[in-house]
Amino acid sequence: MATAAPGLTRVAPWQRVMTGDDVVAVAERDALGTTARVAVWPPENLAVACAAVDDVLGALDQQASRFRADSELSWLHGAGGGLFMLSDGLAEAVGVALAAARWTGGRTDPTVHDALISLGYDRDFAAIDSQRGEPPAASAPVPGWQRVRLHGPLLHLPAGVRIDLGATAKGVGSDRAVRAVMAVTGHAGGVLVSLGGDIAVGGTPPREGWPVTVAEEPGQAGSPRSQLVRLASGAVATSSVTCRRWRRGGTVLHHIVDPRTGRPADGPWRTVSAAAATCADANAATTAAIVAGPQAEDWLTTAGLPARLVGHDGEVRCLEGWPTAAGLPVPVPAGSHLYGGARPPGGTR
Amino acid sequence: MDADHGDRGGRVPLRDFGGPDRAGRAGTRRDSFRHVRRVSNWTGAALIVGTAAAAGALAHQAFPAAGTAAPAGGAGTSASRTGASAPGAGGPQVTHSVATTTASGVTVTTATRTINGTTVVTQVRHAPAYADNSYADN
Repeated sequence: MATAAPGLTRVAPWQRVMTGDDVVAVAERDALGTTARVAVWPPENLAVACAAVDDVLGALDQQASRFRADSELSWLHGAGGGLFMLSDGLAEAVGVALAAARWTGGRTDPTVHDALISLGYDRDFAAIDSQRGEPPAASAPVPGWQRVRLHGPLLHLPAGVRIDLGATAKGVGSDRAVRAVMAVTGHAGGVLVSLGGDIAVGGTPPREGWPVTVAEEPGQAGSPRSQLVRLASGAVATSSVTCRRWRRGGTVLHHIVDPRTGRPADGPWRTVSAAAATCADANAATTAAIVAGPQAEDWLTTAGLPARLVGHDGEVRCLEGWPTAAGLPVPVPAGSHLYGGARPPGGTR
Repeated sequence: MDADHGDRGGRVPLRDFGGPDRAGRAGTRRDSFRHVRRVSNWTGAALIVGTAAAAGALAHQAFPAAGTAAPAGGAGTSASRTGASAPGAGGPQVTHSVATTTASGVTVTTATRTINGTTVVTQVRHAPAYADNSYADN
């Protein structure tokens, strides 16, 4: 396992990003195996905002990373099952993951951990050998989220069941980061936080909303396949099978696992973006839509989430008021399906 | 089930992640020291019952919600919770994209190790690419 030894992981420095507007300040750094970006107005809030985001990301990594031998989650996995008292932060993250599983009808499921391992996603993605020769294990359903019980901070984890929070953790991180930034800035101005492309905003947005590019892959901004939208509140997230792909035994695999089979989802949509009241909701919804395959449109419509789906042939489908033209605001529904009861009162970690 | 093992090595403190420039906030983080620990079935049952009782009591005493239940959590302001605000009223005019929602790209793994007294920083950087490039032309 390519896990970082305790105390050896270093926080990458923030780099200023010049976007062309000097009324906002933007910075980004590597974090959680991907990129974190912060945009704030007024610009002088940038330093305290970045520091607040550092705190949130550091805590989340310590709580929920399955790639760190010294994380709380790794300790749980090594304990062999039982009843555990979790920190507030990990309890919230697990609670959100279980709520997402319930909401999506099991299309996201935190017990996909061992399926991901068997597929070869057994270390930080950057360290995966993308050309391993042996084929992946035969398909099998994952243990199932219903076997994991959470009562407040008390977790019952059956022996042999390990959890992965990948379908919701980045969203939780963006939500926490926005709350933390608003707290340290005294709720002055506005903030946008992106973790690997899962974006939450808070405070007062720019006029007409934060300009956000919707793309399938990093670096596609400005390409004909991208779209500019405006986000005034809530969050937007994207899941795609075009990234985090690797080859094993001649088979191309990706990281979005169908809990029913334990294998990469194999539906008609390669990328789904969705808007929701919170980034965890949006994050879970886009993953669930990829897994839902042919039922994705029905599920997103029933959930009332504005969404943009891209098929394997490049066809784009917009649902529930997602703008079809560039530069228009994305309507954001009210209310979270995931945080009620899962979030410790006043907790931000 | 084992008895409580609160003092065993299973404690996972939330360590300070910052460098020297972060020292000023270390105290805050130390205050929030938390850990995962195994608890016995009896302890767990007592805590569950106690938590449920407390929640019930609080719910009984709570003021009724005024019309709608405000969602817990949520990153945004009240605007995001109602979904009814005028977008961007009061903020500056921003014309250029500030972020991209996209599949999470893989960027870099940074690790620092001390080997024979020498600090070695290792950075493994991977482009957000995929093994087969099968989507390169789509």
